Amino acid sequence: MSLAPPAARATPDVLAVTPAGMVRSRVKMDLATDTSARLQRAKERLYVLCQAGGWVFFLVLQVVFIALFRDKDTAGKATQADIVMSLVRVIAEGMLITHFARIYLTRWGWKDLGWRPLIPRIIGMALVMSTVWTVLGFGIDIMLLRLDMPARFPLWLLMTSSLVNGTIMMIGWLCIYFFYHLFERLNRLQLEQLRLAATVKEAELRALKSQVNPHFLFNSLNSLRALIDEDAPRAREAVTRLANMLRYSLQSGQQETVPLEEEIRIVEDYLALEQIRHENRLRVRWDVAESVRAGVLTVPPMLLQTLVENAVKYGISSRREGGELVIAARFEGAALNIRVTNPGDLSAPASPAAARAGSSTGVGLRNASERLKLLFGERATLTLLAEPPGCVTADVLIPLNPPAR
Amino acid sequence: MKVLLVDDERLARNELRRLLAAHADLEIVGEAVDVEDALAKISVLKPELLFLDVQMPGADGFSLLERLEPPLPQVIFTTAYDEFAVKAFEFSALDYLLKPVDPNRLVAALEKLRPRGPAAPLEPGTATHRLTLEDKVFVREGDRCWFVPVKHLRLLESEGNYTRLYFDDQKPQLFRSLTAMEERLDPKSFFRANRKQVINLAWVEGIEPWFSGGLLVKLKGGMKVELSRRQAQDFRERMSL
Repeated sequence: MSLAPPAARATPDVLAVTPAGMVRSRVKMDLATDTSARLQRAKERLYVLCQAGGWVFFLVLQVVFIALFRDKDTAGKATQADIVMSLVRVIAEGMLITHFARIYLTRWGWKDLGWRPLIPRIIGMALVMSTVWTVLGFGIDIMLLRLDMPARFPLWLLMTSSLVNGTIMMIGWLCIYFFYHLFERLNRLQLEQLRLAATVKEAELRALKSQVNPHFLFNSLNSLRALIDEDAPRAREAVTRLANMLRYSLQSGQQETVPLEEEIRIVEDYLALEQIRHENRLRVRWDVAESVRAGVLTVPPMLLQTLVENAVKYGISSRREGGELVIAARFEGAALNIRVTNPGDLSAPASPAAARAGSSTGVGLRNASERLKLLFGERATLTLLAEPPGCVTADVLIPLNPPAR
Repeated sequence: MKVLLVDDERLARNELRRLLAAHADLEIVGEAVDVEDALAKISVLKPELLFLDVQMPGADGFSLLERLEPPLPQVIFTTAYDEFAVKAFEFSALDYLLKPVDPNRLVAALEKLRPRGPAAPLEPGTATHRLTLEDKVFVREGDRCWFVPVKHLRLLESEGNYTRLYFDDQKPQLFRSLTAMEERLDPKSFFRANRKQVINLAWVEGIEPWFSGGLLVKLKGGMKVELSRRQAQDFRERMSL
C-alpha cells in the first residue's frame, strides 16, 4: 500500500536553478512515507478491532439466542456450558480462518479487483473457507474432544447444514471486507483526482502569471507617458505593440502551441518596447535561418518570449553599459534549435536587486522547460550555457517529430 | 528645495521632470543614471530631496541610501512594480510613488515632506555635520529596511567593520564602523561606554556600582552596559553636568 501523493515525487531539476527546491521535495517525500506508514498502522488497528469485535459480537448474539430459545427436550446430555464452549470454539475457528484468508486475499491482489470479477471469487472462496471451517469444527469436536453429536440428525446432514451456514457467513465476511476496500479505493481515487485538478489549475495560473511581467508592463506604460509629448507617432506605435503583446499573452494561455512565426512577431513587439525604455543600451541581432522561417513550426506559447525577457533582465537591465542580444533559430538534425544569447556571467553572484528579480525568472525558465517536456517529450531540452565567452546562452532543442503523447 | 532625479531611464526622468514642473518650489539640480553617478552628484550638488528609482543597473536604490553619509537628504522612491520594495517601504516609513506616477499622489508625497523641509537643511560645506536627534539613519538587513530617527537608537555595538543598532525591538547591522558612526553622533547625547559600545544617554534608566570602580548602566528596555573605571569617571562628570 503506497499512498505517496504524486506531488511528493521528486522531479529531476533540468536547470538546477534552485537546488533548494529539490531538497524541499525530498523532505516532503519523507513526510509522505511517514504519513503513509502511520496510515497503514491505523488501518491495521481498524482491522483487528473489526475482526475481533465482529466475531465476539456474533458469539454474544448466539449465546443470548440459545439462552432464550433453547429447546429443553433436545438438550440431551449437553449442558449449557458445553454448548457455549463449543460455540466459542466454532467462532474462534471462524476468526482464524478469515484471518488467514485475508493474508491470501492481499497476496492475490483481490483488493484491487472490481465487483464483477470479485463476485464469483467471493462465492468460491466462501465455499472453500466454509469447508475448512466445517471439517475443522467437526474434526476437533469428534476426533479430539470425543463429544457426542445429537443423535436426532445424521452426521452428514449436520455437516451439510453447517457447510451452507458457513458459506453464507463467509460470503458476509468477504462482502464486508471488500465493501470497505472498494469504498476506500473510491475515496482515494477521488482524492487523487482532486489533487490532479489542483495541480493543473496551479500550473495554469503560474503560466498566466509568468506571461505578462508586471514590472515590464508598468515601466513600459511609464515610458509611454513620457513618449507621448516627445514623439507622438512612436508613442502610438508603442501602444499598438503593447496591445499586441497583451492580447497574445491572454489568448495564448489557452493554446498548447503556437506557430513560431507568431511568437517571433510578439518578441519583436516586446523588444521594440524594451528599446523605448533602454534606448541604445539594448541592441538586438536576429539570426533566424530561412529554412526555419519557411517551415510550419510550432512552439509552446511564450517560450521564446520567456527566454528573451530573461536575457533582457540579465544582459541589459542589470548592466550599465547594456549590450547586444542575439536570437538565433536553425535546424539541427531532426530538431529545431533556438538560442538566445546575452552578455553576462552565468556564475556571477547577482546583485540583491537582480537576485530578487531573478528568482522569478528562474521559475519562468523552469516552467518553460517543464512545458517543453510535457509537449515534446524527454528529447526536448532547455539548457543555460556559459558561452560564448562573456555571454550566457539559453539553448532550446525541440524535436521535429515528437513522440505521440 | 533642490531635487536630484535618480533613474536609469531617460524617459522616466523626463516624465518626472514634467510632473515636477507643476511645483514651483522644487528646483531640479541634476539627474543621475545609477548609484555611482548619484553618489558623485549628491556630494557636488547637495540636493535636499531625491527621487530614487529602486531597480537600476548594478546596485539598487536602497544601497545608495546605505552608502550615503548621513544626514540623508529626503527621499521619495519610485518603482514600477516591486512587491519586495513595497514591503520594505512599509517598514521604513519611506515614501514611494508607483510608476506611472499619479500627479495627485505626487502632491500628497510632497505635502508630507514640506513641514519638515527647512528643519533639516544640509548646510553647504559641512561635510562633518553631526547628526541631530531628529535626523534619520538608513539601515537594511535582509529584505527589511528601516529609516530610524537617531533619538530612537538606544545602543550602538561594534561588530568589526559593522555596527549593530538597537532600537524598538530591532537590532539590524549597519555597514559602517562604530568609530565612523561615533564621529557623526552628537557627543551631548551619545557616550562611548567601552571599546565596543556607544549608548544614548536619553535611554539611561539606572546606574549601579560595578567591579573595581566601574559602573553598570541599565538602559530602558532592559539592556545592561559595563563601564570601566576610566569611562565611569567620564560618565559621572557628564551626568553631573
